[in-house]
Amino acid sequence: MIVAQRKDFEQIKAAAADFRKVLVVGCGTCVAVCLTGGEKEAGILAAQLDLASQIQGEDKSFAVACVERQCDLEFLDELAETVLDYDALLSLACGAGIQLLAERYPRVPVLAGVDTTFIGINRDVGLWEERCRACRACVLTTTGGICPVSLCPKGMLNGPCGGTRQGKCETDPERDCAWSLIYERLAGLDRLENLSAIVAPRDHGARSQPGRQVHPAYLRRYSAHE
Amino acid sequence: MSKFEQALAHKDFVLTVELDPPRGVALAPLLELASRLAPRVDALVVSDNRGAMPRLSGLAAGARLAAQGAEVILTLTCRDMNRLALTSQMLAAGAEGIGNLLLVSGDYVSLGDHPGAKPVYDLDSVQALGLAVTLASGRDLAGQELDGAPRFCLGAVVAAQSDPLPPQLIKLKKKAQAGARFIVTQPLTGLEELQGFCRQTATLGIKLLAGLEVADPGQRQGVVGLFKEIRGSGLVAGAHLSMPAAQDDLPALLDACGL
Ligand code: SF4
Ligand code: SF4
Repeated sequence: MIVAQRKDFEQIKAAAADFRKVLVVGCGTCVAVCLTGGEKEAGILAAQLDLASQIQGEDKSFAVACVERQCDLEFLDELAETVLDYDALLSLACGAGIQLLAERYPRVPVLAGVDTTFIGINRDVGLWEERCRACRACVLTTTGGICPVSLCPKGMLNGPCGGTRQGKCETDPERDCAWSLIYERLAGLDRLENLSAIVAPRDHGARSQPGRQVHPAYLRRYSAHE
Repeated sequence: MSKFEQALAHKDFVLTVELDPPRGVALAPLLELASRLAPRVDALVVSDNRGAMPRLSGLAAGARLAAQGAEVILTLTCRDMNRLALTSQMLAAGAEGIGNLLLVSGDYVSLGDHPGAKPVYDLDSVQALGLAVTLASGRDLAGQELDGAPRFCLGAVVAAQSDPLPPQLIKLKKKAQAGARFIVTQPLTGLEELQGFCRQTATLGIKLLAGLEVADPGQRQGVVGLFKEIRGSGLVAGAHLSMPAAQDDLPALLDACGL
């Protein structure tokens, strides 16, 4: 899932200062699971903004809408009527969702209410951990299902740097060294030979443009129409 | 073959010292210090933004040292340069008469004084060794022919105190395979540490230089003692001495070591 955290309230308030009617738009998928931008959080933020504007004696209004997935046009259409009544949309979706909302409603300013942090896992209620940088060349098969690209700050592919102490990373004694984890796991599986070959430099070429992925069926459908 | 490579091949015990370029443009004191040190050691290892703290470029300093006749080992860190920058630095080093490289990943930026910097790590140290070998073969990483190929004696580092050690050894083996002719240990704390490490690396056949660091003046006597023990032990091919907080005292350290 995509994990995000809400921006600081003062920052959001400042971003919304220019607008009289603001629609806070939540998203019911990833950001709802990470308790940042679902319907409930959208409601709380709208109430906070409302209260803050009342205290300052401003004539403003903040309403709430929540769609199932802001990163999917199918779910954005339902806002078409509603957005006409607002001066700005304050989105609590991840960066992708915020952008699609902006694209779908080109005449309304869109404000970001969250900082998108990472692709991660739900470790516990209220605890998420990064696990993937979407590097487009997944090495998990050889690294025992543990990602050195996201868990090692240096993204080392050929083994650890010299900074590992007691299995922890040189950047933070609280944090496991990715390469210690990889080693332990592969040793346990008796698959250390996975690590013996030198891994060539990564091809970053694919990352220098925004990702685009096309399903074969999509191609078939559109080439049939031509 | 670089002078240092010859020393590695023929001498029982080689000696290198580490020099930091200035944090500024005043190169004269470094050049003067180097002129006193160079005749007493087999090579001067010029650091590259050591500890993730920026200084005058190691390449620029190393080129000046080489020009005054010193045998230089230039450190290049993967933290600060992508493969293009590493390529051009290596070519420049070759053109400036620097015949030895020490290729390192580099301490993470958060450990230095510019923690907000973007860390690069396009290549890791194993891949950087591969780059240097490729350049020496007359091509760049894209396969294009070079107009003049550099020739290097390549080195890398290892941390004997890595814990767990086995993954560090897996990487060490790759460094040797990738072309490292010598390996410098991170600063050692005692002979036992080195003995334990050497037992595990005996089969790799690498030329190991024991890293010894005087981090503050109070440690000097201890380091001198350890140097003598290590030299006497016959465990390693040489030693690498550093005094990051007071490199001007390196000549005095060599005196104390009886060198
Ligand atoms: S290697 Fe890591 S960052 Fe790359 S795709 Fe796999 S999990 Fe994601
Ligand atoms: S200590 Fe481990 S996780 Fe941390 S930077 Fe080094 S190899 Fe990566």
